[in-house]
Amino acid sequence: MDFYAGLAQVIGIHTLLGLSAYCVLLTGQVSIAQAGFFAIGAYTAGVMTVIGDAHILTAIVTGAAAAGVVAALIGFPALRVRGLMLVVATVAFGEAVRLLFFNFTWRVEKDGVMVGPTGTEGFRQIRYFPENGWSTLDVTLLIWAVTALVLAALWWMDRSRAGAVLRATGADELAAQSVGVSITAVKVSAMAIGGVIAGLGGGLYAHVTTHIEHAQFGVMLATFAIAYPILGGLSSVFGTVLAVIFVQGFLIEGLRFMGDWRNLLFGALIVLAMNLRPSGLLDAQGLRVLGNLFKRKERGHA
Amino acid sequence: MIDMMKSRAGSLSSALAGAMVAMALAATPASAQERTITIPGFGAKSGVLRIFGVNSEAAMNAAAEKINNEGGVKLGDGATGKFAIEYLDDRCVAEEGISVVRRIASGSAFIAVGPTCSNVAESLFGILQKKVGDASDTGLQFPIIADVAAKGGLAKISDWSFRNVPSEYEMYKTLFGWLRENHPELTKVYGGVEKDFAHSNATFGVMKKHAAAEGFELVGETEWLLADTNFSNQVRGMRRAEPEVVLVSAHPFTTCGVLKEMARQRVKPKVLVGLTSSSSIETMQGCPAEAEGIIIPTGFAPVNDEARAAAEAVAAFGGSADIHSMAAYEIMFMLKEVIETQGIVGLPETVAEDRLKMRDGLAALKRADGLLGELGRTDEGEAIKPFLFVHAQDGEWKVLHDPEN
Amino acid sequence: MLDIIDAAQAVVDGVLFGATYAIIGIGFTLIFGVMHKINMSYAAASIGGAYGSLILLQFVDAPVLAVFLAAGFCGGVIGIIVYYACFRFLPLNNPLATLMSTVGMLMLIDETISHVTTGVPLQYPAMFSNVTIDIGQFFLRGDLVFTFVLACLATVALLLLLYRTKMGIATRAVSQQQVAAQLCGIGINRVNALTFLVTGVLGGLAGALIGASIGILSPMLVLPLTVKGLIVTVIGGLGSIPGAIIAGLMVGAAENIFQFFRGVSERDIYVMLLLFAFLVFRPGGIFAPPQGRD
Repeated sequence: MDFYAGLAQVIGIHTLLGLSAYCVLLTGQVSIAQAGFFAIGAYTAGVMTVIGDAHILTAIVTGAAAAGVVAALIGFPALRVRGLMLVVATVAFGEAVRLLFFNFTWRVEKDGVMVGPTGTEGFRQIRYFPENGWSTLDVTLLIWAVTALVLAALWWMDRSRAGAVLRATGADELAAQSVGVSITAVKVSAMAIGGVIAGLGGGLYAHVTTHIEHAQFGVMLATFAIAYPILGGLSSVFGTVLAVIFVQGFLIEGLRFMGDWRNLLFGALIVLAMNLRPSGLLDAQGLRVLGNLFKRKERGHA
Repeated sequence: MIDMMKSRAGSLSSALAGAMVAMALAATPASAQERTITIPGFGAKSGVLRIFGVNSEAAMNAAAEKINNEGGVKLGDGATGKFAIEYLDDRCVAEEGISVVRRIASGSAFIAVGPTCSNVAESLFGILQKKVGDASDTGLQFPIIADVAAKGGLAKISDWSFRNVPSEYEMYKTLFGWLRENHPELTKVYGGVEKDFAHSNATFGVMKKHAAAEGFELVGETEWLLADTNFSNQVRGMRRAEPEVVLVSAHPFTTCGVLKEMARQRVKPKVLVGLTSSSSIETMQGCPAEAEGIIIPTGFAPVNDEARAAAEAVAAFGGSADIHSMAAYEIMFMLKEVIETQGIVGLPETVAEDRLKMRDGLAALKRADGLLGELGRTDEGEAIKPFLFVHAQDGEWKVLHDPEN
Repeated sequence: MLDIIDAAQAVVDGVLFGATYAIIGIGFTLIFGVMHKINMSYAAASIGGAYGSLILLQFVDAPVLAVFLAAGFCGGVIGIIVYYACFRFLPLNNPLATLMSTVGMLMLIDETISHVTTGVPLQYPAMFSNVTIDIGQFFLRGDLVFTFVLACLATVALLLLLYRTKMGIATRAVSQQQVAAQLCGIGINRVNALTFLVTGVLGGLAGALIGASIGILSPMLVLPLTVKGLIVTVIGGLGSIPGAIIAGLMVGAAENIFQFFRGVSERDIYVMLLLFAFLVFRPGGIFAPPQGRD
């Protein structure tokens, strides 16, 4: 039971990571910087509970806000570059954030022990959950409450005008501009929202793993972040959830019985998935099929 | 009629007697009963650190085979246990390490051996219950004993975490003492460190401290990152300082890089000291010529019959015996001892008590048999291990000095 | 005085080491120039080619040049595989899909190397590894000079290929105006496959040269090389081969100079800032390619 609750925690946090990239991808920007915002959320939230003695909710919200602010700031220069250059620029930004945390030391004495982020050694003993009586299930419920909230917000946004505006910008900037959409506002807000979501995920991540260090927030994590929405399809937020379950649940945990072959299959299955379903697991066609399934059921009742 | 009843009673009583004997016989096989005790190990079996997982798994299998061949383990209910090893890959990712241990803990295992990576150990030990018996702490109650994770101070994170990793502090203290004795004329020391790896960073501090304590003068230090490939700046600084002793606190990849650059810039110190983790096959495969003569303290070398036999057994399982994998080998014997002294039963119904017994047993195991000598245990759960110094000669690690003898 | 000499030496060392980045950058930029897609697995394929050439050494005690050529051959083979697995059957108008498929390929190549070699670093043969050219107070690494010369030769060969052969004209046509090229009867798939073959061979050679200059091959080389290669491609200008070379040398020099002045912990932050400076002031890169009509 504990194991499945733990797995659900991982899936929840990675869904948040994926959704943060999803937001930005909708506007046509490929951002490999989400791991950087994730890191900002993680360190901020960790510092808040360990040094600031804050409540977990205050901590993750602060982390999300900090990440959102930085993301908004990045959004402006990101406007000037597109395509591969944006990919490289965001990789560079993500690495810069990681290197900043590599050099970041802030230690405070609490109960005779020095706590706080310690540069290369990382930030250890972020034990808010075990120290305050949270069981594995409690933490899972918290993570999924946050994830469900974000999913609902994004889903609702998708069905509203804001979603249409975002997708229009992503589909054809020139056309969107010509109907009066402010590209600047759209792209920067998408980046900021992505930052907030990544910050939330990061804050929760720090408390689940109890120890964070710069190396965990590298290019690989950022690539996973972008992989989830691409694998899942950009037509719906649920595509990202599906992709996270596919990668974390099936590829990483489910294939354990294959022993050594698991890791080789990892890369091979991603290549295969992209060849078979280039628009993602849940693309527009898939959604239509699902939609028809439900409609047929309704018609059956009538 | 009474005769018939008597004879019937007689046959009844003999049948009854027969039945009782049969039941008695059926009840005794508990001592002849055999059970498989699965010991899960976990660590890095993919990526650059794959060799650690492969070696640890081979070592655990070799030890299990030896124990099983010598009669297995005596379990708490009188049955005999035969070890089976199951090794899981955590890819050196903290989240996955936690997931793996939760998976193990949801089964009937009562101990896990691992991890390879210190960052995984940090997170993992962090989710364990800090103080045993603390009801307000919802941390996981499952004992873990690490074979490889070498960063300092990990075992004290929780009462449930233990390690069989040698103390770098003691090893380098003795090494510099020995160097001072055998090379009284050497004074100038230059150090280089892999800055973004917690293990090398921490050990560098230890190296410098002990070198200074033995009267060596630190004429300079330099640093690089673990994936660096260009060391011209660093070695140039080294060349200018003209050191007699050079310390390289780095893993095989960058150690080889630095040594090759030193050869290129013709920096030839009299003594080279390396990091414990670099006393492995990796350095010998990467730069055997440039590493010639480098001295490294280690917790394992095939210096006695038992060690040699163990090394061969590990090789038969496809691994190589070094300071890290043989820690796993020794752990298996420690587990056997704890199982027998604590009377661990190993049945699915007794899981919770078995885990607590294992934890208590490991904490109480102040003396155990290691391949190089006796193993001790500190109050924090760390090991006190015998060690010796090896140096690279002709592409192989040969014993330079055994401090015990 | 010593400081100035040291700083100058740091620049020289950096420029020479940058030749390795330049060589990787050429491949990245060529693929982007022709197909307008990123191949994230390029550095992995290059290192994979170098590993492949080591298999040759298992059977024959071959001279170093033969090993380098074997690496080129293996690189070419891997390049074709990458093309067919990650690009051939994917829709052309979906850049995200090929981005992801090449990331998957990167992971596959990385893991295959780690599995076959158990992650242990392997020695790589080098040419001129003991040669140092002493010029007064400075000394230059002979093998890096060789790498630089080879990178220049490769560029000349590539440029000859692109501007003097029929295949080259076809490649340039496809990169400029794909539809028009198709209308002229140029087979897109053939051109793309050939691009991957050529860049694959170059990549294999690059991997061999990098392995030779470091002296050892390890899967740890792949990710940092991928990041550096991307940075060099962007700074040099997407699709510009001379740009990739100059950018590679520049990044190598900058890296070493930043390290000389600010140490290893801050070095990469400054390299990122250099990239940002380019993106802000000269987004097209050093040699911005002529903009196509579409």
